[in-house]
Amino acid sequence: MKAACHRSLWIARITFLEAIRQRFFAFLFILGAALVLASGAVRVFDFGHSELKFLADFGFGGLFLFGSILGVVMTAQLFFAEIDNRTALTLLAKPLSRAEFLAGKFLGIWAVLGVFVLVLAALLAAMLGWRAAELAQLAAERRLAPPECDLAGLALYAALQWLRLGVVVAMVLAVAAAARTFLFAVVVGALAVLAGQLQWLSQELLLKPAEPGLGHAALWLLTHLLPNLQQFNLGDALVLAPHQVTAGTLPWVFLSGVAYVVAFLVLATFLFRRREI
Amino acid sequence: MRRALPWVGLFALFLAVGVLADQSWRRSRLALPEIGRRELEPTVGQGVLLGVLGGFRTVVADFTWIRGYVLWERKNDRAGTELLMRAACALDPRSRFFWENTGLAVANDMGHWEIRRRGGYAKVPKEIQDHLLRGYAQRGMVLLDEGIASTGGDAALLATAALVAELQLKDLGRSADYYRRAAEARAAPWFAARFAAANLWKEGRRREAYVWYRAHWLKVLRLAEDGSPDDLKELRDMEHELRLPLLQRLPLQPWEVSQPGFVPRTSEGVTAPSPVGGQSRK
Repeated sequence: MKAACHRSLWIARITFLEAIRQRFFAFLFILGAALVLASGAVRVFDFGHSELKFLADFGFGGLFLFGSILGVVMTAQLFFAEIDNRTALTLLAKPLSRAEFLAGKFLGIWAVLGVFVLVLAALLAAMLGWRAAELAQLAAERRLAPPECDLAGLALYAALQWLRLGVVVAMVLAVAAAARTFLFAVVVGALAVLAGQLQWLSQELLLKPAEPGLGHAALWLLTHLLPNLQQFNLGDALVLAPHQVTAGTLPWVFLSGVAYVVAFLVLATFLFRRREI
Repeated sequence: MRRALPWVGLFALFLAVGVLADQSWRRSRLALPEIGRRELEPTVGQGVLLGVLGGFRTVVADFTWIRGYVLWERKNDRAGTELLMRAACALDPRSRFFWENTGLAVANDMGHWEIRRRGGYAKVPKEIQDHLLRGYAQRGMVLLDEGIASTGGDAALLATAALVAELQLKDLGRSADYYRRAAEARAAPWFAARFAAANLWKEGRRREAYVWYRAHWLKVLRLAEDGSPDDLKELRDMEHELRLPLLQRLPLQPWEVSQPGFVPRTSEGVTAPSPVGGQSRK
């Protein structure tokens, strides 16, 4: 077991170094960071929201959009690079199982996404903290209540986003394990992420009272097979209105995220074992 | 059979995870007010999708609002205007700005657009005009009520609802009720308490107006830095007009005597000048 972990971590280390050197990662990383930093300058164009909400939304949007793109494209790219360059063949000829190989790939990519989430969240925290302090001072001068901004909530949100990206990576790995081409894996992976983000629509339909029938059963099945990625988007509530998150919500979300990661990795391993390299 | 076993196992695994995620979603959706809003369904294909997906909600809401505002300026597409404005509200239900302006646009403008669409004021009978204007004012009030609930009872939204109830629906009692809630809310507008009392007074509920205004002055307004002298003056006028015995009146405040225009009152004769201010009781 220890040896297996050691081998997976070795693959993870190589994957991490390979991913972090990619120009694609650097490009999206800089774009995301610039978006968060630019939010301070474009906040004058906003209307209808509190300033902190506008700033936070830019950061949440950057984490969601660029994180998802990175998760899908980088996973497919790094997986197919091993297959196309025949390095997977060499690696798997050694005492390294396909499950260990996939676990290593997953951990390496997830770690890179962890760096991405950490840096963007830190930049967002700096922006929010700076502006919240200014607004609190203004509010104190006018004898108003200071705006609510919970940076600990932001840390929790960042952890949730990292977990969501973990689900995305595991999902794309499962797709890539069965796919024949990089493009197919990217397109199907992106569609799976989109479906996961919109899965709540079917879940909402299920919550409405309806007569049991074939359609209802199909909907139930679909809802329980597709991952619900919307449940990780608790940013507004965690950062700007912490009282809205009821006790016990976060452990359930974390648990369900970890369960999705494990389930997709099991599926990926199963599909990869049947694949001819 | 044995070949199908792993697939059955995977199916069972995903179902189990799905049940777990279902429980998680039932809890987390309570913290997502944007979720499950019917107003978004018709606009999902018009660029609102990104906002629904997560992140950039405010930016998408801003753009949706601008598109709705452009239609509002043209004044000829009632359905489109309302759809986009409501979508902006649904994308960010905590925003007062969207609710307030959507409520006002529906309550104040759309009735007139409908009359114009039917041929204009000269062609549409007066009763139909009143019916239309009232109907749209009611729709605006429904929106404002929804906004009040979504923003946790925003004082400015309550004041806007009070204004629509008074000017469009001519319902002073309802207006007074909204003003009263606005006065009791956090960051209450300075005029809310006075207007609540004035509308109750104008409706003939004079005693009730005085009792509430007095209690509110004692509990809230008196604690303001300046002691809210304008409100106290209004209360003094009310006491005078109600001919309250001196012992039932508010005790004389130490700083009141030094106020410009202070006139010691007796319970005899109504000689006070008409009250001044934005919302006269007369």
